[in-house]
Parts: sequence; C-alpha cells; structure tokens
Amino acid sequence: MPSYELALVLRQLPRPELISVIKRTAEAIFDKGGIIRKLENLGTRALPHKVSEHGVVHREATHFTITFDTAPTKISDLKEEFGRDIDIIRRYIFRVEEPEEHKCTLHEEMLPPAYRKDVQEIIDIAKRKQKPKYNYNSGLDYYPFQK
Amino acid sequence: MLRAGCQLLNQAAAVKTGSNNFALEFVRWRRKPRWLPVAKSKMFRVPERKKQTEEERTELMRLHNNYKTQLRSVRQYLREEVVRQQETSTADHIVLTPEQEEAEFQRCLDENAAWNAKIASERNVRLAEEREAKVAYVQERLEAAKLRSEERREKVDERIRYEIEQAKTFITRESLEVAIETALANPVDHNYAIDLEGNMYRGR
Repeated sequence: MPSYELALVLRQLPRPELISVIKRTAEAIFDKGGIIRKLENLGTRALPHKVSEHGVVHREATHFTITFDTAPTKISDLKEEFGRDIDIIRRYIFRVEEPEEHKCTLHEEMLPPAYRKDVQEIIDIAKRKQKPKYNYNSGLDYYPFQK
Repeated sequence: MLRAGCQLLNQAAAVKTGSNNFALEFVRWRRKPRWLPVAKSKMFRVPERKKQTEEERTELMRLHNNYKTQLRSVRQYLREEVVRQQETSTADHIVLTPEQEEAEFQRCLDENAAWNAKIASERNVRLAEEREAKVAYVQERLEAAKLRSEERREKVDERIRYEIEQAKTFITRESLEVAIETALANPVDHNYAIDLEGNMYRGR
C-alpha cells in the first residue's frame, strides 16, 4: 500500500469537538483498511483568505495532517467522505514520495572549464564535426583534390 | 521526293508554305498540335488509292521474287558452311577419348571433395567456437539474473524489516485517543530554515 498524506483544514472548534472530528476522520481511514503512521497538529491560525464552505465563511482554521497507508482505489472514497463532513473546510491527499538521493558535485563544478567533464565532452563533439583539411604547405604546388 | 524537299529547303525557309506545285510541310511550325483530333470536315474522307497497271504489278512481283530467292540461297549457303566448319574443325575445343574424359571427371570430383572437406573442417571449428560463446553468454546472463533477483530480494527484505520496525509506532484504534491528545498538545511548525552551522531560523 502506498503512503499518503492527508492535509486537513478544520473549522475552529472547542477541544472536545476537535478531538471527535479527528477521531471520525481516523476511523474512516481505518474502516477502509488503512494504517495511520503519524498525526501532526500544525496549529490554529488565520487562513490566507476568507473561505466559504458549507454555507459558512471561515477566516481562521485548525491545520492537521495525517500520514497513512491505504489502497489507491480507496482514495477517492475517502475524499468524497471528507468532503461531506461539515467540520472539514479543505482536504487534500498527497502521495508521499521517497526522498530523492542527491550527490554533491560542487567540487567538480568549481573546477576551471578545461577540467570539467561536460566541457570536455562538448569539445570532443566539436572536434568530431570538423572535416579533415588539406595542408597547403605540404610540398605540392597544386591543389590535389577537386575544388 | 525527299531529296527534292531538301533542295527546296533553303527556298522554303524564306517562304514557309512552299511554292505553287510543291508544299513542304513543317512539323514544328504552322501545323496544328498532335493532340488535336481530325477536323470535322475531314473525318469521313477516304484517301484515294493510286492506280497500278497490270504490267507494272507483274514486273514488281518478278523483281520481288528474284530478290527473295537470291537472298534465301545466300543465307542457306552461309548456314551450311557454318555447320560444316563446326563439324570438321577442332580449333576451339580439345577432343578427348572416353577414358581421358572419365579421368578428367574423376579428377574434378576429387578436387571438389577435397574442397568440401576443407570447408567442413573450418565450419566445424567455427560452429564449436560459436556454441562455446553462446553457452558462456547464457551462463553469464543466468548468473546475472540470479544476482539481480538476490539483490532485489535483499532490498525487499530490508524494506520489510524496516516496516516491521515502524509498525510499532503505527497508530491503532486503541491508541488513537492518546495519539490525538499528544498531537494537539505538541503543535509542529515546518516553516523554518537551517544554515550550514545548523542554526534554525523560525519563520513565524
């Protein structure tokens, strides 16, 4: 099962109701055969713009993320279910990607151009494109090829 | 007729349509194009045949017959001469007795067999080499595949071990309430930056 991250924007609620909303969401994931890896509370703060959802205008919200694993076929069901919840303003589900492995090549990039591997390749290509040229001071007093 | 036309060509170049009793017809100039049909007024015109008298006809026939007969006799003579030449002369080929012919054939056969044997031995060597190379290639591929599958298995095993280790921290239905309490108690903020010395700069 691939990992997903559910980013929730929740209505401003008193603590017991907030707990029940999160619990409801988590139960929905469990009911669909999912596994919850991590819960994160990103705090209550002002929204970047006013949001009108389920007939109410919101200016502040609680942000919450749930990292979970589930079958990809269940994702649309989950989204639909969370969309019906009136306490959830916004819900986004992202696929959690494996972190890319980067290798530091700064010391190679800092070399003078003539020593850099990519520059040497470019020079090789340019050399390959040059045609062989007749040398005029090679002893013959005429041009031996067709002009 | 043609010669007369050539003689008159110089005159005709000046006057293209020709003189009174003679009309030189130019194909290139003053003629309708080749692809146009016959004119309507000339469509059903039948050209008149020239009359030939009886004695003129017989004379022409006699000349014609004479010519054909003479030519036929010359041709027959030449043909017979060629046949005679081929039968008698031995200029272009060597005449052999049956024994000699048999010996020659046997020699050719032996030479051919020797060639075949030589090529066969070369081919056998080549085929053996190719077979060996193929066996080595297949062996190498098989070993590579084995190695690959082992590596893959190793990777998968490692992943499974990691996931089993992680499973201890997974949140279950029983531990859900506690997890929510802890999460609400510890709000996190990912809005920060780190410099090369490891100092953290918070965004908010």
